[in-house]
Order: sequence, then C-alpha cells, then structure tokens
Amino acid sequence: MTETAADNKPKLKSDQMFINLGPQHPSTHGVLRIGLTIEGEIIVNAVPDVGYLHRGTEKLAEIRGYHHCVVLSDRWDYLNAMGNNMVFCMAAEKLMGVEVPERAQQLRVLMLELNRIASHLLFFGTYGIDIGAFTAFLHAFREREMVLDLFEMVCGARMTYNYIRLGGVMKELPKEWLDRCREFVPFFKKRLAEYDDLLSFNPIFLDRTKTVGAVGGKEALAWGWSGPNLRASGVPYDMRKFQPYSSYEKFDFEIPVGKDGSCWDRYYCRVREMHESLKIVEQVLGGLPEGPILGKGVAKVPKAPPGETYAAIEGARGDLGIHLVSDGNMSPYRLHVKAPSFINLQILQEMLVGQKISDVVAILGSIDIVLGEVDR
Amino acid sequence: MTTTTLDREALQAKFAEKFPEAETIGAPAEGSAPTELKGYLTVRFPDGERLLAALRWLKEDLGFAYLDMISAVDWKGPVDIDGYIRDPNPNVFLPDGATPQVQLPVANKTVAYRDAVELVYLLSHLDAKIKVCLKLDVPRDGGSAPSAIGVFKSADWQEREIFDLFGVAFLNHPNLSKILTPDFLKGHPLRKDYKHQKDRFDD
Repeated sequence: MTETAADNKPKLKSDQMFINLGPQHPSTHGVLRIGLTIEGEIIVNAVPDVGYLHRGTEKLAEIRGYHHCVVLSDRWDYLNAMGNNMVFCMAAEKLMGVEVPERAQQLRVLMLELNRIASHLLFFGTYGIDIGAFTAFLHAFREREMVLDLFEMVCGARMTYNYIRLGGVMKELPKEWLDRCREFVPFFKKRLAEYDDLLSFNPIFLDRTKTVGAVGGKEALAWGWSGPNLRASGVPYDMRKFQPYSSYEKFDFEIPVGKDGSCWDRYYCRVREMHESLKIVEQVLGGLPEGPILGKGVAKVPKAPPGETYAAIEGARGDLGIHLVSDGNMSPYRLHVKAPSFINLQILQEMLVGQKISDVVAILGSIDIVLGEVDR
Repeated sequence: MTTTTLDREALQAKFAEKFPEAETIGAPAEGSAPTELKGYLTVRFPDGERLLAALRWLKEDLGFAYLDMISAVDWKGPVDIDGYIRDPNPNVFLPDGATPQVQLPVANKTVAYRDAVELVYLLSHLDAKIKVCLKLDVPRDGGSAPSAIGVFKSADWQEREIFDLFGVAFLNHPNLSKILTPDFLKGHPLRKDYKHQKDRFDD
C-alpha cells in the first residue's frame, strides 16, 4: 500500500498555509529552514533554505597553507571529519606527487571506517528520535562514545581530529590502542545485532518509514544522490569499489543495496554499512603492516606545482570530492568541496510535495545531512 | 545507452567527431600552466550551447549518468587580501607587529591568468568507470552559461552556488537566487577581486 504523491493530492480544497520548519528546530539537524506551504496536512510546496552556517572555508583556504587547510576541512562535515581530512590530503598529495606509506594508508582506512561507524551511529540514534523512539539513541551514543574515546586516545580530540595529514597520519598509535580497538569490535558486533530488534524491525518504526519517501534509482541519479541514499535506491555506486583509494582494494567487503529507496531502505543501508565497516576494521587490525607513518617529500610550508586535480572518497554521507587548483603558491588557488549533503538535500523541494506534514521529519532525517557540510 | 565498451581513446575520437570545435586538452608539459585535470579526459568548449549539447549527448547517448560536480575557478590572478575580514595571519599567538608567517599569494608567470571564470563539469560513467571533464570559459563581467538543470537536476543548487559566489548567471535556471551568503551581502565572495564591506556584524 505504497502511497504515491498522486494519491496524496488534497481531496478537499482548503486554504493554504505557510509554515516555517526551522531554522531553530531540533529535527532539522542543525540550522536548516524549510518553507512549507500546506493544504490541510498535505504539502503543496517546499522551499529548503540553507546558508545559515556558511563560513566561507573555500575563500579562507585561498590564503592559508596546505597544512592549515586540513584544519579547515575538519569543520565541513564534523561528524565525519576523518573523511574530510582524508579527501583534502588525497587531493593535495595527488598535486604534489607525494607517496603515502603502506602503514599510513591502512591507518587511514581504519580511522575512516571507525568514523563511518560513529557517524552512522549518530544517524541511527537521532533518526530514532525523529520518529519518536528514544531508547535507540541511548544505545547508539553509548557505542559512539567508545569510538570517540578511541579517537581521543589517538589524536586528543573527539571532534575535528586533524589526524590525517599531508603524506600520512599525525601520530603512531598509542601503546594500548590496538587492544582497546580489538575489544571494541566484538562488543560492538553484539550490540549491532541488538539494533535490529530495538529499532529496525519495530512495527511502529516500519509503519512510519517503510512506505514513505520512496525514490527510484533513476531519479536518485538525476538528483546527484550518492552514498547510502543512492545505494538504498538500488544503484551500487560506492567510491571504495568504483575507484579504490588508500588500499581499499585489499579489503573484502560488500556494498549494501536497498530495494525501493524508501526511508527505511536508507536507514537499513546505513545499519548494514556499519556491519561492513566493522569487517574492514577487523581486517585492518588483523594485518597492519609495520613501517613509517609519514611519507617523504612534504615540506613544512608545502607548495604544489601548478595543476588541477579532483579527488573523491566515499564519505559517510556520500561521494565527497575536492576540486583543487594550484598556481604554484603556498595556498591553493581554488578549493571546491563537492559536499554530498549539499547535493543530497536539494531533492527535498520535489520529494516533499504531496507528502503529509508528519512525514517531513521522517524523510529529512533519512537523508542524513550535516549542515556544516551543506553550508561549508 | 551503448553497450560497446568505452575507453578514453574511443571517447576522445567520438568527441572529435561530434564536436569538432571543442578542444581536447592533453596532459600539461613540465612547468607549464595547468590545463588538464589529472585522470580525466578534459574537453574545453568554445560556447555554452555546445557544452549543453555535449552534456545531453553524454548522458543520453553514452550513458554518463552521474554528474560528479560543477565547480568554477576565477582566473583573474592572486586573491585580493581586502576580501577578508580578519588579518591574514592565522597564528593568533604571534605578538602584535610580528612578521606574518603567511606568504600571500603572488602571480606565477607560467600560469595563464585571464579575464574569465572557468566552469568545470565532471561526469562519471558508472559502468565503464570512465570520467570526463568539460570546461567552459565565461567572461568575468556579465558572464553567463546555459543551465544544465534540464539534463541533470543535481545542477540546481550547484549553479545557484556558483551564481552566488562568482556572479555567473545561468540562463533558463528556474530559481537563480543567492543560496549560501546572507541577503545583505553585496558582491560575489569567491571572485579574486572581492572586497569585504564592513557591515553590522564586523565589530
């Protein structure tokens, strides 16, 4: 009994009303404003309004050195800051021709996957709250705390890590870190199995999400969706397989794909991705090579030769890319961030029309945006 | 959709046949200006109409289903420091009057600075794993390009972003308005000659 937008056309004509959702609203996950025009409880027009968190990092980068830009990158998608560090470093390394040692590459993969787990856990928790299930949030944050503790041990910060640096990573792992991480994996595996009973197959949760916000694969591609959102619509596009980077080709993992692209599919894709990430973490822990953690040839004030490059990784929210142009100076000539949240969000103006107002939060939550990345 | 396997050479030949005016750019010579995006078949178009036709052709006939991103580069020259609100020296621990640790960007003679904003379109073929970069120069003042929204809906906000930050107009865009900067902000901040004007939030 999938309800389509056409079925949802208001049957009784009534006066239209304009509602502001946000910018200060807990379920908009930051400072997003959506101007909704409703007729009864059916939405007839939706205008997402972004830019409240615009800090101009692309402009700031133009007078900062490459090492400083890594710090800026932490502030885009603060829930997946390792990914941001990674993609900027990848772009700069491509330009400068820096080789990253094997151990550093695998440490990067380890941190990226742990960060993906932390980010998806936050999604899992807050999406439950959006729909009205509070317990899942407490469970998710307990586990997320453990990942953040691991990050704190290795780089001293729980957010804005600045751990992945040009040419490698910041620091060698502390002594007891590997043991702590090895303890975390089986613990989390057990918890992850509980999540399905707790939320995924909860009948109320299923009712709220299974038939809501379906997006077909073609439409998702046309709107430029990427990441779990796109894969939930049945398109198996993942940067880690499409164009492996940082030794991802050495690890065995699968790409979870959804069926009909409903809110529940997008949700469950992320839950299954946590399983896959855990698999990768286990593999890295099993065979972490010895060696240097910082590549040779990165100056204290690096200058990239004139050139242009595009590097992309699979961030927690999708295809995160950096278009980096250098004219030979100490700072990038132009830094453009292809932010997955920004591109994933624009579909709302079409997707919300014809939906019930009570489903707005379910749809918005399932897209999993971070406003820091939308506005940059 | 074609079923034949597509590779870089085949694609380059197809481009030369379909768009003889467009220029395929090879890898840059050592020490010369940046021209090619590393790893991408880069094609520069003389005007927006042909670029739009190429986007449609790539999507509908060749199966380039995914628009990676649209970006823009202002090639005027090194950035104007008056465009920033704060002191360019990011080291807040330095005493007043100390030499800034930052070297401000200076013009590099080997780079082709010009009076243009360059639009960069990246597309991916998800099955053949091949990537294309289309480029178009538009004039810095009053420049415009046709909107790609009819081909890729994801161009919507990306074009609004470029309009907001660079001042390039996209023709036939249904809602070309500011998106990231606040309404009171005048000018386009990512242009290299942008100057910050003091407003009520400065003090």
